[in-house]
Amino acid sequence: MNKAGGLRLYAIIYLIFLYAPIILLPMFAFNNSKVIAFPLSGFTTEWFSQMWADVQLFRSLKNSMIVSVSTAILATTLGIFAARASTRYAFPGKAGIMGLVMLPLVLPEMIVAMSLLVVLLAIGVPLSIFTIILGHVLICTPFAVAILSSAFQSLDRSLEEAAYDLGETPLSTFRLIVLPLVMPGIISSLLICFTISLDEFIIAYFLGGTETPLSAYIYGQFRFPARVPAMLALGTILVGVSVLLLALAEYFRRRGIAKTGGKDTGGFL
Amino acid sequence: MTSDRPTMIEFRDVHKYYGDYHALRGINGEIRAGEFFSLLGPSGCGKTTLLRTIAGFEDISSGAVLIDGKDMANVPANARPTNMVFQSYAIFPHMSVAENVGFGLRKDPRPKPEKARAVEEALEMVGLKGFGNRAAHALSGGQRQRVALARALILKPKVLLLDEPLSALDKKMREHMQVELIKLQRQVGITFILVTHDQEEALVMSDRIAVMFEGEITQLADPETLYRRPNSKKVADFIGTMNFIPATILSENGDTAEIEAKGLGRVALDISAAPPGKGEAPVVGLRPETLTLLYDDQKAPERETDGVIDEVIYFGDMTYYDVYLGGTDVEVRLSMRNVPGRPVLEVGTKVRVAWSPSALVLFR
Repeated sequence: MNKAGGLRLYAIIYLIFLYAPIILLPMFAFNNSKVIAFPLSGFTTEWFSQMWADVQLFRSLKNSMIVSVSTAILATTLGIFAARASTRYAFPGKAGIMGLVMLPLVLPEMIVAMSLLVVLLAIGVPLSIFTIILGHVLICTPFAVAILSSAFQSLDRSLEEAAYDLGETPLSTFRLIVLPLVMPGIISSLLICFTISLDEFIIAYFLGGTETPLSAYIYGQFRFPARVPAMLALGTILVGVSVLLLALAEYFRRRGIAKTGGKDTGGFL
Repeated sequence: MTSDRPTMIEFRDVHKYYGDYHALRGINGEIRAGEFFSLLGPSGCGKTTLLRTIAGFEDISSGAVLIDGKDMANVPANARPTNMVFQSYAIFPHMSVAENVGFGLRKDPRPKPEKARAVEEALEMVGLKGFGNRAAHALSGGQRQRVALARALILKPKVLLLDEPLSALDKKMREHMQVELIKLQRQVGITFILVTHDQEEALVMSDRIAVMFEGEITQLADPETLYRRPNSKKVADFIGTMNFIPATILSENGDTAEIEAKGLGRVALDISAAPPGKGEAPVVGLRPETLTLLYDDQKAPERETDGVIDEVIYFGDMTYYDVYLGGTDVEVRLSMRNVPGRPVLEVGTKVRVAWSPSALVLFR
């Protein structure tokens, strides 16, 4: 076998290893057995109806939506400010400040969760959805800054000067020129922050109080073997929704690039 | 001539510092209304900075910039009667051509159809009639340039600022746009201020040129004066080609000087228009086209000197010859038009070179 063939085999094994577990998810979600094992015993949609009837699950789903949407919006908003400041202005201590903003990227979540828990308990903030949002904004903001910095960086400064020169104020220039041109970056940032927040577990589990979001709820359900197939059904739906969201994001990104005549340098798809 | 026109822009001892870096070092001068004015100099000389102080994109450290008699110190860029054509054109990529051109009319109280007509007129003026609905990013370089012009001119500014607007175009297009810009400027009658590092472009287009070096205006004059009477070796060297020949001043008497130029011999010069002395070693400057090769039994109208051809550079319509003068190591470049009956000579040919004392510029 030649060298290219060997590499091809490696790539195929790699992809199987990466995606096979995800394919198992729908397989067992439609399998007519409470035991997660081969051989498959028959087709059923029972787990989906069981999942559909679970009131507690919809509560956590609602919690998760509140947490993830708020996190995405807050982190992206903060990211816009930080990215704008870091790409456009020079200020004392810039490198240090940007370093601190980006630090949660490499900080173990465990440590973030623990220290936040200690601080929140010490100052008497009750654990709730709000505290989860707090933690998630902290870990999502660096991702938002990274994505948005590249969007702001590729913006030609003279575009803003031209708008200003043509009579616009700095604020209307931002609204009419800067915002539309960095919009693909903003949408990417929103989607990625949403995704990170949605499947984040440690902070959600530590700071959640009685209001559990989806990730913590699923983890809890896995303790009861009878509930596992219903969770696989839920997982199947989540995979479907993720693929749909990613495809949508990529569609908008490509359309944005085509509209401004830019060169497609590859997105996340 | 534009000398009788009122002042449009005045610089009063303008200084600009970037931290410790002294970018503008005491700029003084006037730009007249309706003038095509160029700021010319090598990169880093401060010409773009000076243009941006007019636009209001740069604050000045001291001094004053006046537009139409008004001090611009507290007037922000969006309230100044100036508009700019950027080097990158800065066409808004997410808008159509018409939206780009009409952008400055957003706050204009006129009704929509009237604004649309103004946009169409502006596009027609720059030769882009009917391009309004095109996407801005689908345009060629030359078309972008025209859109940028239309967008800036639609507001009828008192001054149009052009920051190296032709540098991104290829040679043919550039030469074409130079002529277009001159015509456009005559048509609208607005003061144009052009920043360029291309001396040829400045000579072709401008009524007057300010040559800048290291944050200072070295010479401000019309193209012909700059070319024929540069006030320093730096200007002479930057604009066109100039031969520098070492000389000694034998005597000086008011407006005339008797000098000995190496390879040319003794010459009496009228120095009434010569640049002021700077205490440098004296040299005389000579443009290549003021030197002529004499063929056969042609006689020099004024002076002639023997020489030997060292190098021949053939350009099609012209030939450049590098010639050693009068048995010395002084080499000058001269240019000859290639007309019928005047063969291109070979390296090593002994020649006679005609020249005129009035074409000599003395730097000292």
